[in-house]
Amino acid sequence: MLARAVPLVLLVVVGVYLTLALRLPFGTAARPGPGFYPVIIAMFAVVVALAATASAFRGVRSAVVVELDHASRRRVVISVAALVAFCLCLPWVGYPAAAFAFVAVVLRYLGARWTTALITGVLSSASSYGIFAALLDVPLPRGPW
Amino acid sequence: MGPLEGLAYGFSVALLPTNLFACFVGVLVGTIVGVLPGIGPVGAMALLLPSTFAMHPATALIMLAGIYYGAMYGGSTTSILVNVPGEAGSVVTLLDGYQMTRRGRAGAALTVAAVGSFVAGTVGVIGIMLAASWLADVAIQFGPPEYFAITLAGLLLLSRLSGGSILNAFVMVALGLALGTVGMDSISALRRFTFGSVQLAQGIELVPVIMGIYGVAEVLLLAEEGIAKTQIAKVKLRELLPTREEWRRSTMPIARGSVVGFLTGLVPGPAAVLSTFISYTLEKKMSKTPEKFGTGMIEGVAGPEASNNGATAGAMVPLLSLGIPFSPATAILLGALVVHGLQPGPLMISQRPEVFWGFVASMYIGNLMLLILNLPLVGLFVSVLRLPQHILATLVLLLCLVGAFSLSNSFLDLWVLVVFGVFGYALRKLRVDPSPLVVALVLGPMMEKTLRQALFLTQGSVIDLVARPLAGTILILAAAALFGPPLVRLARAKRFAKPISQGSSASD
Repeated sequence: MLARAVPLVLLVVVGVYLTLALRLPFGTAARPGPGFYPVIIAMFAVVVALAATASAFRGVRSAVVVELDHASRRRVVISVAALVAFCLCLPWVGYPAAAFAFVAVVLRYLGARWTTALITGVLSSASSYGIFAALLDVPLPRGPW
Repeated sequence: MGPLEGLAYGFSVALLPTNLFACFVGVLVGTIVGVLPGIGPVGAMALLLPSTFAMHPATALIMLAGIYYGAMYGGSTTSILVNVPGEAGSVVTLLDGYQMTRRGRAGAALTVAAVGSFVAGTVGVIGIMLAASWLADVAIQFGPPEYFAITLAGLLLLSRLSGGSILNAFVMVALGLALGTVGMDSISALRRFTFGSVQLAQGIELVPVIMGIYGVAEVLLLAEEGIAKTQIAKVKLRELLPTREEWRRSTMPIARGSVVGFLTGLVPGPAAVLSTFISYTLEKKMSKTPEKFGTGMIEGVAGPEASNNGATAGAMVPLLSLGIPFSPATAILLGALVVHGLQPGPLMISQRPEVFWGFVASMYIGNLMLLILNLPLVGLFVSVLRLPQHILATLVLLLCLVGAFSLSNSFLDLWVLVVFGVFGYALRKLRVDPSPLVVALVLGPMMEKTLRQALFLTQGSVIDLVARPLAGTILILAAAALFGPPLVRLARAKRFAKPISQGSSASD
């Protein structure tokens, strides 16, 4: 299932890229325009994507995906969700709060105790904010408080 | 400036307190990330890149390169003591290194690995001095057609040599090249594939992509395991000395490994990893007792450990003399120089000698520091492995997030980081090597610029482009490397097939 879905997604992406590339001014071979090189790349991409799809549907098993058990999968999904949540919340709640919540949640789900998770969250959020915002002058959002 | 004069000047730069300190920090961080499975040198270099923006370009280069070759030292420690590769260049060391540990010769294995790395590092630096200045003299005559040919040839070779199927590698190259076209076109200033986003007009930044693929993705792999306890073999300091017999057996493998490593490093591809496999196979072939490999042969540790260090040195040559990186690690080094407005290439050696020679001299010093760090202090680094992995993993994720944001204070970079983190994780699950994508992303804009300039020169004639002697030769060599091995295999298969099924071989 997955082995066939991946090349199909790839084909769609590459197709979109080709369509967009064709809309750019192509120019001539002697005076290549901004669309010249993208079109060449897009054609190469289409060829390899087609070849990848063909080999997937001929049943060539290029990749053996090892199935994860439920607990492992949950840990990965939670980590990714936490990353996305961090990016979404950062502009609104500010860096110190987002970093604290991120570290505490991820650690807790990786198997640490609540106390360890909360303490590490506070320490890492405060120290990284101190280093990057105060010392290195990175304008990390502070949030509404 | 001749090599000796240059080197003397280089030492005067590298021995400045700031540069010495940068070198120390680099090799220290390199050793630590080398020891730690999960986070590798490339991720660490990307993480520390923003901190170098305020430094002198030579200092930045010295520190970041220190991480790269330092990791080759650290990686062997974990391979030998824990039976888990600290980073990819030390996978082969597992085979005999861990067996030596089981037989109580862990100390000897560690010493031979460190000394081998040191010898190879030193040989490599001499190699850089000679090869880079020579290549730079040649490259001064290169025009856009030659540079186009080299980047194209590099990508083809990289696809051939990176592990796994060539089709997968081509897919990665295509994606990387396509990503490289996002943003403002440098010649016409037209915005391409930006979907109206102002931030995307700057293009997709390399560093968050690398942090995602080599930082976030590796942590996600660690997250699968949850909390894991590592079993670490204990080493006593006095056990570190190899016996005279062990030294004798290691000498030639180290010498051969250094040369093999340096030469592999010159070729586009996953040089550090590839060189260890070549060296191991070579030692097995040279050995009178090849059947004993895998049971704790010191040759199987000495050769590969020397070669991966030689390879990191070799990989610097195309970067320093042509300005073309062929691996994610050298791509970061290029990024560090470009930030300072420096374009590595044939002119850099003569125009910015303090950067080139200071860097070369720092590699001598760095290798010496690493020898000291990794032998008497090996116990200290091993204790890094006792740190709770899940806490380290979480902190690395947080550092990636802050680091990506701090590059240009942009939320876009954060999203690029997360997207490529998930993408890199998926690639590892599908067993696809992501490095062709990273290299293509760096080389893509170079390739487009040189292609357009070259076609402008030849008035649109592709034949005139290929007919330039140097550009043509490079392309022909690349084509030979790409199609040669499968053709030879096909020819051999036919020859062997003939006696069995005559006549049918013509049809296949």
